[in-house]
Amino acid sequence: MAEVKVKLQLPDADPVEIENRIIELCHQFPHGITDQVIQNEMPHIEAQQRAVAINRLLSMGQLDLLRSNTGLLYRIKDSQNAGKMKGSDNQEKLVYQIIEDAGNKGIWSRDIRYKSNLPLTEINKILKNLESKKLIKAVKSVAASKKKVYMLYNLQPDRSVTGGAWYSDQDFESEFVEVLNQQCFKFLQTKAETARESKQNPMIQRNSSFASSHEVWKYICELGISKVELSMEDIETILNTLIYDGKVEMTIIAAKEGTVGSVDGHMKLYRAVNPIIPPTGLVRAPCGLCPVFDDCHEGGEISPSNCIYMTEWLEF
Amino acid sequence: MTQAEIKLCSLLLQEHFGEIVEKIGVHLIRTGSQPIRVIVHDTRTSLDQVKKALCVLIQHNLVIYQVHRRGMVEYEAQCSRVLRMLRYPRYIYTAKTLYNDTGELIVEELLLNGKMTMSALVKKVADRLTETMEDGKTMDYAEVSCTFVRLADTHFVQRCPLVHATENSDPGPPPPAPTLVINEKDMFLVPKLSLIDDTLALAGIAQWIELWLQMKVLPVQTPVRAHAWVAGQVPGTGHARGKGKRRRSSEDDATGEPKAKRPKHTTDNKEPIPDDGIYWQANLDRFHQHFRDQAIVSAVANRMDQTSSEIVRTMLRMSEVTTPSSAPFTQPLSSNEIFRSLPVGYNISKQVLDQYLTLLADDPLEFVGKSGDSGGGMYIINLHKALGSLATASLESVVQERFGSRCARIFRLVLQKKHLEQKQVEDFAMIPAKEAKDMLYKMLSENFISLQEIPKTPDHAPSRTFYLYTVNILSAARMLLHRCYKSIANLIERRQFETKENKRLLEKSQRVEAIIASMQATGAEAAQLQEIEEMITAPERQQLETLKHNVNKLDASEIQVDETIFLLESYIESTMKRQ
Repeated sequence: MAEVKVKLQLPDADPVEIENRIIELCHQFPHGITDQVIQNEMPHIEAQQRAVAINRLLSMGQLDLLRSNTGLLYRIKDSQNAGKMKGSDNQEKLVYQIIEDAGNKGIWSRDIRYKSNLPLTEINKILKNLESKKLIKAVKSVAASKKKVYMLYNLQPDRSVTGGAWYSDQDFESEFVEVLNQQCFKFLQTKAETARESKQNPMIQRNSSFASSHEVWKYICELGISKVELSMEDIETILNTLIYDGKVEMTIIAAKEGTVGSVDGHMKLYRAVNPIIPPTGLVRAPCGLCPVFDDCHEGGEISPSNCIYMTEWLEF
Repeated sequence: MTQAEIKLCSLLLQEHFGEIVEKIGVHLIRTGSQPIRVIVHDTRTSLDQVKKALCVLIQHNLVIYQVHRRGMVEYEAQCSRVLRMLRYPRYIYTAKTLYNDTGELIVEELLLNGKMTMSALVKKVADRLTETMEDGKTMDYAEVSCTFVRLADTHFVQRCPLVHATENSDPGPPPPAPTLVINEKDMFLVPKLSLIDDTLALAGIAQWIELWLQMKVLPVQTPVRAHAWVAGQVPGTGHARGKGKRRRSSEDDATGEPKAKRPKHTTDNKEPIPDDGIYWQANLDRFHQHFRDQAIVSAVANRMDQTSSEIVRTMLRMSEVTTPSSAPFTQPLSSNEIFRSLPVGYNISKQVLDQYLTLLADDPLEFVGKSGDSGGGMYIINLHKALGSLATASLESVVQERFGSRCARIFRLVLQKKHLEQKQVEDFAMIPAKEAKDMLYKMLSENFISLQEIPKTPDHAPSRTFYLYTVNILSAARMLLHRCYKSIANLIERRQFETKENKRLLEKSQRVEAIIASMQATGAEAAQLQEIEEMITAPERQQLETLKHNVNKLDASEIQVDETIFLLESYIESTMKRQ
């Protein structure tokens, strides 16, 4: 008996068919598929044919190649995105991908260079290109004003870049902070005064002179002096500056979860206080505030006998 | 001693005791302890004058002496004690608030005379008070001595160390300088005196006359001095009284040199002075304790309310005699004890008191702490912490007045967070970067803030090093203290300058007053008095008014700066003791 070699001619050996199957699989698993999955699905296709198909899909821009800790992943590319990058070449695509990965914190041009290993001139050209296509934008960082970070066009920059509520267009809004400062202090002061005048037993008096950060936040929101929406952390930073001014003191108490304003089981309470000593004796004499104190000695040009600050002070 | 301190000591000594004492005193402060021959040689003054100057200084507790081996006696000046002279007005005022005019005069006399016996002191104060009272009334000695006893009981005055009474065992040569000892128990023991007015007065005057005749010296200021000189044969300490401002010490006669002959004036016809040899001096430490307590109480009153400060005052009063002044904590006091010791006017219930104590213990100030639960809760006052807070508050107030409130914010921020980077300072303080940098550098240049370097690489390259801002309270306090000394020296100099400028005018006005007084005594008419008074013209009168106003203002300012000095010195002392 002659051996009959039967070669199974599979109908799927067509490359286009392979690609379509792969694309279907990608649609099934939008997070990406590994090589293993494709192999399981189409066990009869050799590795080489598979590789050819995948390469074709990649070059056509329909698949994304990602690296994960298990190996390589293929993911279907968003058709809209696929349309965008039609006209660009690989380098631009690479740069775009890097910027996309940076999310809303943005990425500096030097970092793009490190990640992509492209020369500076190329990077600059590509960035200009992408900007003109309105795919990315440059945002000035508030930390270093000369530094520009790039991020995708439609993303909101992160707080660390723009500085959050205290910065408007890279300028620190001192007056805004000052106004908030004074308003918070006035609120706490009136609260303390009403508590003092109530003349009840001291425990209640003290407890009622405290205000939680949540209360202050609500008060400021209701005042409506801020155009920007302020969060409780913002108010807490303002209250901290009041602590550093020595006008307010803070305690933390344990609060039940679920009470208004408690964060992780504790609340911060603030109270207006008076300074513990009046301005000290040294500053009541002109010498305490004198800018030329170190140059002053008897018999010199600046001496106590001819001190003009003393003369003015004595005339009060 | 720093230059500023030496300058201030020299100004104070000159103002209170005169040039010679100043020269000797400053020399001793500069060079440490020296025997008398070296002093004579270095300052190029005669032995006699050096002896007298040393007497004055020893009498006022500004100089101490020690016998070294080989029988040499060395004298050492105490710079810190000299600086206390600035605080005399405050001591006298405290005595006035606590014990009225009698107490005020007692402390004043003690401070001016250095050391005195009780009988002499009582007599003098009574006489002074009698002068100021209406005609016909005299001050009772018993009342004055009663106040004196109260002062001794509360430890505001103490006995000076005495010569140890050896029982004449060996008749060898007397030691070069006596060693003075005082028993702890006896320090505040008041001798039993029966002060009968006449005998004392007679005894005093008689002795004085005799002394004058025998020694042919200029009349000493008061009979008291001579009588004590004669009576109290405490060898070695000398009894020259340097009294009053702007008087030279040369008129005093004394035996300062050890081994010198002591002229024995036998008091043949007089009553023996009852408290012979027991001398009293003002206990400055107790006054300082009182000031410290006052500062703590007022701080609590500012931060909380009146009732809390009264409670703290009660606690401090109860610990006055039980706790040594340099202890970091007072003894624990139970809440029941505090309740019993509250002043009578305060009728708060026990529960309210407990609530107040709990509030005080929980306060972020941390002046009061709870140390146990027996007896209704044991509470202590944290003295070291309190002094630290007061000193820190002084520092903050200076920064605020000198540099502005934003700088004060940065200062307090760095104080609380201990170590901060430049960027963190800007973020926490909410001050624009440029201004924050400027302020930090200004404070750095004035040494309120210091920089701590933390290198990332072994070569300490500046670009790879962390620079952290920090505040070292002890060194900032020392720096400020030095500034205070210099400021007071400046104020004193200015005051002297103002007085010198108008010296001619002052002399003229004094002459006119003398003339008026003498004419009034001899019974002149109003018209003549008027004429004399017009010798001083109106603008001159105006000038005199301005001068008086300026001098008073400068004086007051000295005392205010001294308050800062007290807080800073107490803090530094308390910290150094803990180390």
